[in-house]
Amino acid sequence: MRRIHFPAVTTYLLVGILIGPRILDLIPGRIMMLSDPVSNFVLGIIAFSLGASFSLENIRESGRSVFWISALEACGAWIAVTTVMIIYAVLRHTPIHPSFVLGAAAAATAPAATVMVIREYRARGPVTDMLLRVVAIDDAWCLILSAFGIMFASAIASGALNLSIIVNSIVHVLFSIVLGGAMGAGLHYFSRLIRDNEELLIVTHGFILLLVGSSVILHLSPLLTCMASGVVIANISKRSTLYFESLRKLDTALFLGFFILVGANLEISLIPQVGFIGILYIISRVIGKFAGVALGARISRADPRIGKYLAWGLVPQAGVALGVALSAKALYPAYGTMIFTTITATTVVYELIGPLSTKYGLTKAGEIVSVG
Amino acid sequence: MNTLLSAGLILLLGFVGARLLKYARLPSVTAFLIVGILIGPHLLNIVTEEIFAASDFFSNLVLGVIAFSLGENFRFEEIKKGMKQVLWISLTAALTTWLLVSAAIILYLIMMKYPIYPAIVLGAAASATAPAATVLVIREYRASGLFTEILLKVVAIDDAWCLMLAALAIAFANAMRAEVFQVAIVFAGIGEIFGALILGASFGYLFSFLKRFVKTSEEFIVYIFGLLLLNVGFSITIHVSVLLSSMMMGVMVINLARENYKFFDVLRTVDAPLYLIFFILAGAHLDFNILYKMGIVGVIYIIFRVIGKVYGAKYGAQFSKAPKPVADWIGLSLTPQAGVALGIGLVAKTTFPDFGNYIFTIIAATTVVFELVGPLLTKYSLIKVGEIASTE
Repeated sequence: MRRIHFPAVTTYLLVGILIGPRILDLIPGRIMMLSDPVSNFVLGIIAFSLGASFSLENIRESGRSVFWISALEACGAWIAVTTVMIIYAVLRHTPIHPSFVLGAAAAATAPAATVMVIREYRARGPVTDMLLRVVAIDDAWCLILSAFGIMFASAIASGALNLSIIVNSIVHVLFSIVLGGAMGAGLHYFSRLIRDNEELLIVTHGFILLLVGSSVILHLSPLLTCMASGVVIANISKRSTLYFESLRKLDTALFLGFFILVGANLEISLIPQVGFIGILYIISRVIGKFAGVALGARISRADPRIGKYLAWGLVPQAGVALGVALSAKALYPAYGTMIFTTITATTVVYELIGPLSTKYGLTKAGEIVSVG
Repeated sequence: MNTLLSAGLILLLGFVGARLLKYARLPSVTAFLIVGILIGPHLLNIVTEEIFAASDFFSNLVLGVIAFSLGENFRFEEIKKGMKQVLWISLTAALTTWLLVSAAIILYLIMMKYPIYPAIVLGAAASATAPAATVLVIREYRASGLFTEILLKVVAIDDAWCLMLAALAIAFANAMRAEVFQVAIVFAGIGEIFGALILGASFGYLFSFLKRFVKTSEEFIVYIFGLLLLNVGFSITIHVSVLLSSMMMGVMVINLARENYKFFDVLRTVDAPLYLIFFILAGAHLDFNILYKMGIVGVIYIIFRVIGKVYGAKYGAQFSKAPKPVADWIGLSLTPQAGVALGIGLVAKTTFPDFGNYIFTIIAATTVVFELVGPLLTKYSLIKVGEIASTE
């Protein structure tokens, strides 16, 4: 597969589709049942490692750009998708409130796929650095925006503005950060017991499992909690790189398992159902991302290459968007299914083309030196 | 409690437990077992159903990893060194234990006017040892020297003897019970051994052949685990010994190319969490209530198994002219007993409707004792022969 220059992520997904229940059916039910814990664990590892790029030094240096670019690309996608969807709904004389939720889902990106592509091609440079930071804090914006989206949607549906949804989501984000940060500090104190690499391997993996498991129980975002601990560790521990290196030993195997399972779970039969609305969603989301990045880069006076190429890396869409879709489905039985189908179907498309787009952007930016 | 949280607690509590029990000079294996007992279903009940259900998968994987690593010790160019001793020690230790335990239990059963065939199967189970616990003790204390080398090889090939003895024993027991000697059982036993060796050798060859596609050390890990799992899965499907086939795979890999040692090195950098989980789950599965059911036969089994191992290994070592410290201590270091013996117990359970359950209970109960005490004895012997430099 590498010969035809597909990123490994895409290959894993295709293999997953192939051996998944719909085609060859080689994965027993017991393994399929593990999809959920495995994906939470892997996202936890990725988010924790992404936290490493937020040392105080880095924040001082590029915090402004990270803030503006991530906020504007998320809002850009949200506004673009929502507007297009509202116009479409008005023309079709259907209710407009699902548009807000679709827009919020469009704000999300996919850290796992992005990180994998960067690693596989050993990309490095200002665009890569910025991309890693943007996908890391992206999720916080998406969570807040989806709360806004759901609130607007309910307000239009029922005529009453329910502010508690927003308050809830902000509390949710803050709680995730506080829990993650506190546990990160805990890990730092606990780590003095560690004597060798084997123990370090056990403790880092045990820690991430514990953190992700508690986030799931408390209904917090595992991505945010793990990222927050990564940030805390990167800033208070002198030997923080040891943790991140220790995770690297096993993560290739975990990522491979993760993407194969994602592929096996992809509802490829939904692609024909993407429909006109799905195509509009796909196009307007990409436009929103590109416009947001360009504007954010200009406002924060970032490297012009960032403004030009970073957005390619933000095209992948995965689990976070599906999460928004799931909560919409639970909230609005009437339109939830339509929202859910649209997001799932477009996710299939984005999962497959997203990594290619990331690779393209990084190659254009000159940060992937040799291909393959 | 969800699966992730439970898995996290297993890792962290295992780590803390090992650290605390180090002050009591207990090996980590024992610490993991004790933590497992504590968090298992009988006490704190932290291990979720899902993880419990995966125990089987996990223990087969870990035994595969251990046996594969043990294969590294059998390089053809070094195989002459001490191989005679290894063969003699493992053979006499296994045979003597079988004979002694069987004879002692037969005497008791005759006195009680019970049928005597269960004794023969129990003797065969007693001949088994536990590679996982032994390897872990050796690694934890960084033991090294001639004794350690012989011990590693003995536990590796031990299983082949034990499987043969078990097949013979079950055939004999069946003959006594049904008064027909089924040669088929013996052949099935031998077939199982050869099947395992052929399967493992093929996978070892495949491993060495396909390795040209593997580039980075991260890919190594994916590759090693992928092929190991395939080998283990196939062994289970065709009913051959996971331990023997994985060991054979390791032997093939190390002998096909000199630079293949790096696969074993990479594996060693990541396998620690696997062992921890393996032993914690083993601890969580230990059922202390079964100890009450052990009875006099269980006590006889324990005493004569230790005697059989110590003296059997000693004669083998003396006969093959091994150094004196080896002869004096190797038997004691072979006392751990675990999955292999339980496997024989399971076969007995399905083969003998009348006394199968009884046999299984005795083996399970004595395994509880040997799992906990065995690693301590292994550590003690290693200290006595001076191959553990400092015990922290």
